Amino acid sequence: MSKSFDFLPHVKSREATKLLPWVMAIMVYLSALAATGSLLLHSGFDDWANSLQGRVTVQIIGEDRDLIHLQALEIKEVLRKTPGIRSVRIIPDDEITALLEPWLGVGNITDDLPIPMMLDVETDVDSYVNLEALEAKVKQVTDTVYLDDHARWLSHFYTLAYTIEYTALGILIMILLASISIVIFGTKSSMAEHKNIIEIMHLMGAHDQMIAQAYQKRFMQYGLKGGFYGLIIALLTVYGLLNLVQNIAGGLVEMPSLPYLKLSILLIFPFIFAALAMMTARITVLRELGRMV
Amino acid sequence: MVEFRNVSMSYDKGSDVLKDISFKLEPGSMHFLTGPSGAGKTSLLKLMYLAHRPSRGEIIMFGQDVSKASRTELPKLRRRIGVVFQDFRLLDHMSAVENVALPLRIAGGSGPQINEHVEELLRWVGLDDRMNANPSTLSGGEKQRVAIARAVIRRPDILLADEPTGNVDPEMGERLMYLFVELNKLGTTIVIATHDTGLVEKIGASKLHLEGGNLLHIEGTMNDFEEES
Repeated sequence: MSKSFDFLPHVKSREATKLLPWVMAIMVYLSALAATGSLLLHSGFDDWANSLQGRVTVQIIGEDRDLIHLQALEIKEVLRKTPGIRSVRIIPDDEITALLEPWLGVGNITDDLPIPMMLDVETDVDSYVNLEALEAKVKQVTDTVYLDDHARWLSHFYTLAYTIEYTALGILIMILLASISIVIFGTKSSMAEHKNIIEIMHLMGAHDQMIAQAYQKRFMQYGLKGGFYGLIIALLTVYGLLNLVQNIAGGLVEMPSLPYLKLSILLIFPFIFAALAMMTARITVLRELGRMV
Repeated sequence: MVEFRNVSMSYDKGSDVLKDISFKLEPGSMHFLTGPSGAGKTSLLKLMYLAHRPSRGEIIMFGQDVSKASRTELPKLRRRIGVVFQDFRLLDHMSAVENVALPLRIAGGSGPQINEHVEELLRWVGLDDRMNANPSTLSGGEKQRVAIARAVIRRPDILLADEPTGNVDPEMGERLMYLFVELNKLGTTIVIATHDTGLVEKIGASKLHLEGGNLLHIEGTMNDFEEES
């Protein structure tokens, strides 16, 4: 094994690779944003899906408010006696109003607005509730009752979530591939720039490993330096965006809780990029040297 | 020590710049490589310092055919050869001391001992006050002396020099030749490519004469250069 020896010049202003730390910073920044977006959406989808799992919403439509109120009481009794149902609650009018106000505006929910009666049904997690059979049962009370276990739109939601997650993963892979390409290009440029030095090192008996070590060390430093700058800017961006979204979307959409533990994975991004740059530079140098005498 | 057997060499599959060269240099011998410009002197040296492989023939050095040596074998072989390049090939981002210390550092050396040794040699070639200067600030003669110091610092088995006295004054030229002769006496095989016929005659070592890529003749014996020096 050759002893490590940094023989490459440190004249930054003239080096072909002087912009590489900045490129790595941008790559880590984009990767961190893609990963954060994916993690936040994943966490948000999980929160929403968990809150809806084991719940069925019953909706009774009708213009006669008193009639649908009576039907709601009757349906509540029917459901309460049904096995596998843990609790049934008629959602009070003021709660429905509070849910609608962010969308329709305060004071716009008037008495003549045909707001349906709604029941929130909690099922046993371990039991299977046949929604069709249950709907048939409550339809004996009224035809204008509808049951929703959110499965249909949750499945759309999951499709969207997976699409976004795989897109983010695809973006990450593309960024990694772009980073590898840039490091290969940078390594080759640097080797061309320092061809004379490499030749002299060879002629004086330097092993390929010694030359590769000098390059891998330098490119690892570029990766680490750029990576940390990129990560810091990415974290500031995420913090700023979340604050902005919270201010704008407050009330309309429930913001997902920040998955701090999962987000801590971002801290290893600079190291991943540094290791990637190091390995790529090493392989590139050894391959290029292999073509020499 | 060095044996060429029907060696030919060409660049990028072009015409041969060296044609069917055969010779044998005994260990600890000293030789001048002469011939007009373009005769193939530098190409012959390139083969000897393992920068090129021959297109045909065998080159026996250190008891093996180095023309077929693998890449992993080459560094070890190259460390036994000292080279003074015609264009010096010093590393501009390193000082004179660092340039001369390079072969020792490549061989894994480190620490103050290296510097002591290097500084002593640089003082010997008259560069005591230029040790920390970068090559870009050195004159041609000073660069040449740094290049020679770098080539001899590890006491190589073979020393190859391409016009080593071309840029120095006659007095320094003789001083450097004295260094080569002393190294030769210590057992180093020396091959010097030169146009300086006066120097060749003065030292009188055996002469390999090249013309148009052909080795024409080998002649001469060592004069008593040491006594004159």
